[in-house]
Amino acid sequence: MVSDIVITGIGVISALGHGIEATADRLLRSESGVGKMRYLKTVHTEIPVAEVPFSDDDLRGMLGIAPDFSITRTSLLGRVALREAVEMSNLKKVDNQRIAFISGTTVGGMEKSEQFYKDFLENDKRNEYIALHDCGACTDMIAQEYPGRITMQTTISTACSSAANAIIFGADMLRCGRTDLVIAGGTECLSKFHLDGFNTLMILDSEPCRPFDKNRHGLNLGEGAAYVVMETRKHAEQRGIRPICQLSGYANRCDAYHQTASSPEGEGAFRAMQAALQSAGLQPSDISYINAHGTGTPNNDESEGKAMMRVFGDKVPLVSSTKAYTGHPTSAAGAIESVISILALTRNFVPANLNFSEKIESLNFTPVTHVMTDVELKHVLCNSFGFGGNDSSCIFSKID
Amino acid sequence: MDTYIRAASQISMQHPLTEEWMDAPILPSAVFNEPLDPDYKQFISPAEARRMGRLLKRAVAASLDTLQKGNCTNPDAIITGTGLGCVENTEKFLNALIDNDEQCLPPTPFMQSTHNTISSQVALKLQCHGYNSTYSHRGTSFDSALLDAIMQFQLKRISTALIGGYDEMTPAYFKMLAKIGYWRSASADLASLKQAGMTGSLACGAAVSLLLTNTYSPECLCRIVDTNLFYTHNPEEQSSLIHSFLQQHNLSETDIDAVMCGFSGDDNNDSVYHHLLQSNFPDTTALWYKHLFGESFCASGYGVYCAAICLKHQQIPEHLIYQSGQNKPSSINNILVINHFHKKDFSLTLLAPCSSSTPL
Repeated sequence: MVSDIVITGIGVISALGHGIEATADRLLRSESGVGKMRYLKTVHTEIPVAEVPFSDDDLRGMLGIAPDFSITRTSLLGRVALREAVEMSNLKKVDNQRIAFISGTTVGGMEKSEQFYKDFLENDKRNEYIALHDCGACTDMIAQEYPGRITMQTTISTACSSAANAIIFGADMLRCGRTDLVIAGGTECLSKFHLDGFNTLMILDSEPCRPFDKNRHGLNLGEGAAYVVMETRKHAEQRGIRPICQLSGYANRCDAYHQTASSPEGEGAFRAMQAALQSAGLQPSDISYINAHGTGTPNNDESEGKAMMRVFGDKVPLVSSTKAYTGHPTSAAGAIESVISILALTRNFVPANLNFSEKIESLNFTPVTHVMTDVELKHVLCNSFGFGGNDSSCIFSKID
Repeated sequence: MDTYIRAASQISMQHPLTEEWMDAPILPSAVFNEPLDPDYKQFISPAEARRMGRLLKRAVAASLDTLQKGNCTNPDAIITGTGLGCVENTEKFLNALIDNDEQCLPPTPFMQSTHNTISSQVALKLQCHGYNSTYSHRGTSFDSALLDAIMQFQLKRISTALIGGYDEMTPAYFKMLAKIGYWRSASADLASLKQAGMTGSLACGAAVSLLLTNTYSPECLCRIVDTNLFYTHNPEEQSSLIHSFLQQHNLSETDIDAVMCGFSGDDNNDSVYHHLLQSNFPDTTALWYKHLFGESFCASGYGVYCAAICLKHQQIPEHLIYQSGQNKPSSINNILVINHFHKKDFSLTLLAPCSSSTPL
């Protein structure tokens, strides 16, 4: 094992609810979070989505934020997830340490900007939200959840792999000795902007999504946030916190094929998975479970599946996509699915790939269709792929 | 581990893709400035150009020009900073969405609206399957991309990296930011940018590209000793972070021959540099660049770029000097580039001549 980076805290909010217990519980009961739209104000109310089951006011209440304080939904979700991760990792007790906060987002403040855009241009009613529009503003607003403690922050925006790349960048900072602790992940809320965008690309399923199914017809958008706390094993030992698992390998590669589509043979995905294995010093046969990117679009699932076959040959490990639970939370996907991978790894279960009925002809594997418990998992590979061919893979492993 | 800047290019309000600004700077004449576009035909076919927004065209042209200058066909990593991403396409899609009540929307502006469009289009153009990332963190977006590249070198994963900072300013975004105090209200002249008590700066889109390598070659502009990012509101801590950053490299403040600062003419912004110069560099010459390249979320890239060009030519043009210090070094060795955003996000980049570590 090359890596000495451990995870000491995780926090999550998604369509499955708030917190790791709610998330694990819903996964173990195979309960999807995809359903009818409640909070997003759009004309396309018929499109199924995976909304976080809390209004902005609910989230403000959970955080103790005043009703008149200007903050975007992306930042609210981020703060809720950050709080859980920080508490689990006992970070409030940490003194005089360098703490880097790396957050991924693409929507940023768009969900408010699209509501107030005409105000931005024509009057002064909503000026406070102008400064909250960009991705960096979203990160800065989340960092304020933990005032005076973060010593470096930045924002990654590589579309649907943003959060995975935030985790990767944070891990590199630790390896380079540039920080003592990292809080990394991502946040995204639903917006009309990207719902309409994905809709014009005709990749939204009008039914709950069917990852890896022959008749899959697109994705369901989701929202949420998740963060992991990372440090070196030595650092965790010194401050007396028990690691949850380790981040044993990771890689970022580019498909360089098309602005939105994946290459037919999954070149970027293949390279990302292979390089992640190499960085972990693992063989393909060491992987016990793959939490796939598996969006449910015809293009992604076949391309990702082909890439898995290139890496794993005729021995593709247990595979499931959890997009049918959380929808596709775009920039937050890499972090939410990292948390799901960590829960699966540490609690020895494999979530079911919901809504699967028929195998994709060109692939040599089918996903796990019923939740498996009491499976001994050692290494879990988590894939996150984005527009522009920004493909990243992370491997989480039990502490050895 | 040494990292060098082997080549650099820029598109801005200065003559595009050249270093003409060293001898013949173009001074801004407006609050809202547009970059001067080069002839794109040498980099992009007309058919390709039609599908690209202007930010994308600038990014591709600056990137390809840098690679040509650095004699590199395919870098190991492509890392981009962009504070706002492809604003023109974002606005196109957003306006259509609002005006047409979310019906019959054009897909292309959406496809090219994500922040990572730039990095991925450059990768697509070069068929580069290597490390590819995009940072969108306001005034330290470029700086984050630079830090990432430096770490990839430090971890010995790459030997070349193409990094860049790209932002565009549209009339609508300019208007929005004007409302929250970003820009000078009156038409600005150069003298007023140094005048105390003024707020707001001059806007201009940014496109600045650097090719980094881990091996020295004669065309290299300079060496990047290190770069780092900090987040703190505390002015005393900001000052001590500079001191410890230099100390890590066995240097003290007096070893710095010039400090490149992000003075923009906005008192809220400039006061931070005044404070740090006073506390850490009372006798050192301070340089600036935003009077020639304007303010944008990626403007800090020009700070590193200008410092690199000065090191290469061993010459600091008079027009880059914000204030002369008592210390008059006979040669230019260390230049520290200091950048901050809103008095809390900081970056420090230390540059030195190639020759100071490498026998020629």
